[in-house]
Amino acid sequence: MASLSLEGIQKIYPNGFHAVKDFNLDIEDKEFIIFVGPSGCGKSTTLRMIAGLEDISGGTLKIDGKVMNDVEPKDRDIAMVFQNYALYPHMTVYDNMAFGLKLRKVPKDEIDKKVREAARILDLEKLLDRKPKALSGGQRQRVAMGRAIVRNPKVFLMDEPLSNLDAKLRVQMRIEISKLHENLGATIIYVTHDQTEAMTLGTRIVVMKDGVVQQVDTPQNLYNTPCNLFVAGFIGSPQMNFMDAKCSVKGDDVTLTVGNHVLKVPASKKKALIDGGYDGKTVVLGIRPEDVHDSEAFISNSPDSIIESTIKVYELLGAEVFLYFDVEGTQMTARVNPRTTLRTGDKAVFALDMEKIHVFDKDTELTITN
Amino acid sequence: MDYTQELSKAVNELRRITGVTLDVSADTPEEAKQALAQIRCLCTAYKEKYNKADFLQSLMTGGIPAYDIHERAARLHITPEERRVLFLLEFRSADETVNEILKNLFPSQTKTYLVPIAEHTIAILRPLRSGESAEDVHHIARTIVDTLNMEALAQLHLSFSSVIDTLADLPEAFRETSLALKVGKLFYSEQTVFPYNELGIGRLIYQLPVSLCENFLKEIFGPDIPEEIDEETAATISRFFQNNLNIAETSRQLHMHRNTLIYRLEQIQKRTGLDLRLFEDAMTYKIATMVLNYLNAERNQ
Repeated sequence: MASLSLEGIQKIYPNGFHAVKDFNLDIEDKEFIIFVGPSGCGKSTTLRMIAGLEDISGGTLKIDGKVMNDVEPKDRDIAMVFQNYALYPHMTVYDNMAFGLKLRKVPKDEIDKKVREAARILDLEKLLDRKPKALSGGQRQRVAMGRAIVRNPKVFLMDEPLSNLDAKLRVQMRIEISKLHENLGATIIYVTHDQTEAMTLGTRIVVMKDGVVQQVDTPQNLYNTPCNLFVAGFIGSPQMNFMDAKCSVKGDDVTLTVGNHVLKVPASKKKALIDGGYDGKTVVLGIRPEDVHDSEAFISNSPDSIIESTIKVYELLGAEVFLYFDVEGTQMTARVNPRTTLRTGDKAVFALDMEKIHVFDKDTELTITN
Repeated sequence: MDYTQELSKAVNELRRITGVTLDVSADTPEEAKQALAQIRCLCTAYKEKYNKADFLQSLMTGGIPAYDIHERAARLHITPEERRVLFLLEFRSADETVNEILKNLFPSQTKTYLVPIAEHTIAILRPLRSGESAEDVHHIARTIVDTLNMEALAQLHLSFSSVIDTLADLPEAFRETSLALKVGKLFYSEQTVFPYNELGIGRLIYQLPVSLCENFLKEIFGPDIPEEIDEETAATISRFFQNNLNIAETSRQLHMHRNTLIYRLEQIQKRTGLDLRLFEDAMTYKIATMVLNYLNAERNQ
């Protein structure tokens, strides 16, 4: 397998569209890297530049230390799996997986060995004689993966490979891909706009927006310490709650005021606000739905972080409940225990876990407290 | 003229398309000339009678009169009246892989015809099944591109026509896809699939006469029309437009002070009289850059 290095990669199309800007990333051997971001953020373009399907406008791409900018795609030793794959309808699963190798004039016995090995990894051994129309959606997807695996490439590039599958199958295939990564010990670069896929599959995640890398980190760190407002809002479902808050510093005390609610900032967070000179300024306060509590015990222990509102929507999801309410005109969500007694229309008191708050600069949108 | 060499070429061509091997000997140049003419006639006759791709290629390029279409199509067992879509594929690599993959993606029983147009261009005439919608055609286009990207690792562009009901409309469909490919690559270079009915303002510009375009650019840039907009300015303005003329967001994304961005916009205003912060001026500038790209492409052809 292989390591990759992307140094200052740029993509500017002839019509002036700047799709990717100064992309820097080192990918180690056997890493599972996820490119995630909204539609049009440049993640697929970056993947296609790595594959050689798009020319690189600036910067250097290296695979195993060798510069690849001008190397033909077929000579880069990569394999790709895309969203809209098609299987050859008149060929069996075996022939579908073998076809690419036949085109490359690989000897028959070698093809046979590689196809059977890939079938074993993907649990397709019993389906090798079937035609595509006799396969389920998940099985077809596995055959598409098989076509990539038989090439034994240095790097796997996957562009939203699960997007055409239904929700249940996606969960199943996610687990399969994760297992595949373990079994193959492969370097995988995976593009998705689905943050759940990103969080569950990646060893590291690259969050992109408007062609610019926002943050590169492990799923846990992205969730716990987002570097800016965009990452904070993009990672996590339901998304983080945001409110404008006025910061006040009085002696050693720092408070954030949201309308009538005055919230006391804990010691672990206040230094950054004092040092950053945010006294009297408006900042953006972020808190994840699971850090908004409705339990009496938590509320009584947190008198300095109380907010009050009226429940607008009660949503029971089985293992958890989402409560939607407004605070000073901003919609908020609380993820609470299903045993909660709160229902739509009820007056509710919540306490925020102030140790878990995130504070962002309103102008730069960068984190202040992480 | 070296008839021996030409004769040998013609014999090879005949073998390639018919599988028939001829042993031809000519004692005089006249005999060789006559044999060459006869073999070429055989090739043409065979292609006309049996080669579907050749027939469709001639039809697309306007080489078959309308009155002859039905009869020749029937001879080749091609249904003249059927709902179809024409895809036009252009790829960079010149190996046989793309052809092989397409042949297997659309085996003969699907009644999809692969028609070589040029060394790097293939037309795909595919029938529409009952119930297949415009959205399905988009999906087929994407599937062709993704599959070729995956299997052949080939850089390519694909355009497709509107739905046609009869073979008589094929020349028009070919014109549509050729135009879509040209306009798409020129104005929407960040995409790989260009539907004929989604070419937007690019189609309008492409169909304008060059003199009209030059006059328009003179209005905007004065007598010294720039050869092209420099990369940095083009990228800055492109991002500014992508952000709906929002200065704060653009300067943030470009890691540029807002005053720097404003300075650049003012430089453009000095040069062109267009204040890109205003919608109408921004629109005019956008069109001007598209026209400029178009003229550059025309010049480079």
